[in-house]
Amino acid sequence: MFDFRFYEIWREPEYIDRLLHGCLVSIELSTAGGILGMILGLVLVSAQGKSSPKLLSGFAQGYIETVRNTPFIVQLFFVAFGLPQLLHYRWSFEASALLAMTLNFSAYFAEVVRAGISSIPTGQIEAAGSLCLTKRQIFLDIVLPQALCNVYPSLTSQFVFLFLTTGLISEIGVEDLTWAGRFVADRNFRDFEVFIVLTVLYVAIVFGYKAIFNALNRYAFPWRSIR
Amino acid sequence: MFWFCRTAVKGPYRVQKGNDMSETVAAGPAVSIRSMSKWYGDFQVLKNINLTVKFGERVVICGPSGSGKSTLIRCLNRLEVHQDGDIVVNGVELTMDMKKVEAVRREVGMVFQSFNLFPHLTVLQNCVLAQRRALKRSKQEATEVAMRFLTQVRIPEQRDKFPGQLSGGQQQRVAIARALCLEPKIMLFDEPTSALDPEMVNEVLDTMVGMAKTGMTMLCVTHEMGFARQVADRVIFMDAGQIVEQNDPESFFTNPQHERTKAFLGQIL
Repeated sequence: MFDFRFYEIWREPEYIDRLLHGCLVSIELSTAGGILGMILGLVLVSAQGKSSPKLLSGFAQGYIETVRNTPFIVQLFFVAFGLPQLLHYRWSFEASALLAMTLNFSAYFAEVVRAGISSIPTGQIEAAGSLCLTKRQIFLDIVLPQALCNVYPSLTSQFVFLFLTTGLISEIGVEDLTWAGRFVADRNFRDFEVFIVLTVLYVAIVFGYKAIFNALNRYAFPWRSIR
Repeated sequence: MFWFCRTAVKGPYRVQKGNDMSETVAAGPAVSIRSMSKWYGDFQVLKNINLTVKFGERVVICGPSGSGKSTLIRCLNRLEVHQDGDIVVNGVELTMDMKKVEAVRREVGMVFQSFNLFPHLTVLQNCVLAQRRALKRSKQEATEVAMRFLTQVRIPEQRDKFPGQLSGGQQQRVAIARALCLEPKIMLFDEPTSALDPEMVNEVLDTMVGMAKTGMTMLCVTHEMGFARQVADRVIFMDAGQIVEQNDPESFFTNPQHERTKAFLGQIL
């Protein structure tokens, strides 16, 4: 019979501190990466519009394909170790992680939103055009809000996925939740208990995110429930 | 006469006009189409269309499906691009120049078969948006104008509902109010009652009859022959991309000239 010894974790105040700090780092980085990635993603979406220059939309498309077809860990190493060598400038591991997550999320975000945009019936665009709205106004006032509403569930799960990939940033030494778990397990050798605790923490945080997303959904898309 | 489609308060962007009717008539026809043709790829949907519509005239266009009647009125605000001939609407020729297209769209309202209300905006927001964007009206003025037209179509109490909460007939009336909010000189209707339950057809037709009484220039694709008899000055019959026959409603229905028209009327009457 396996001997569960969870008290090996909370016996040491330092372990608990490390784990809580890890939670905070993971939440902070993924939230910041999510928001920045969303902004960059919207830029990528706009760059792919029908009226934007061929070169720009080609670049955006190439970027999205490159990011979506390479492993996150490769992107992370590229940003953390490759870029500093090229630029002769070194920044913190947290900054590297944030940049990698932003770049990664923006590509997925852009792709999902693009699918949402193509789901908008042409009648909407024609109606807006007949009301003398310009292309830009049609995009911002009519197409984008509906597209975001349509793909909101995919976007939230994409964000949850981003949060879970923060586990990988421990590879470059960012003290996130996974890093904290390994720190504790390396010292008390209670790997099973430690990773059970990590599992519970990750699930709890994701549930927290989902509660926020649900509230945000009701606030941002009040028309959804009655369609 | 134009109390129905002109605002009392006008912003600096609109030229104040004394008498719309006389000036617009003097400016020429509302719509003038000369030997216009349109192709979808190799398929010619519109063949050498010639049509002039005067201001204040109410024209009903009918014909079998695929005859090009929707395409024809969609060309008038450049939702479709014609390839040959010219179209002049309200004195402006439709070309690739977006400035001209916008100038035309500002004066031409359109009502669609499938309503095409913006589902993410409330009824009031649907009516306010284009006024704010295209006419740069203040929020207060836009709201006042919107409420006036919502009252006109008899649903002011639904202002804060979303389109998804309304019946088809109500949605189409909001769509009419939304188009009127830009105070167009010409209204285009693309089968406005075809997507409605039979019970709701009349409430929309009544709204359109009311609009006709105000002297609005109307081009209406519809199969509502009762409506055509009641309000139309002229009925146009189209088949296979051509205008086959046009006449005043009385002669059109009682004494059609062409075999194709007779066959069509025999089917639907």
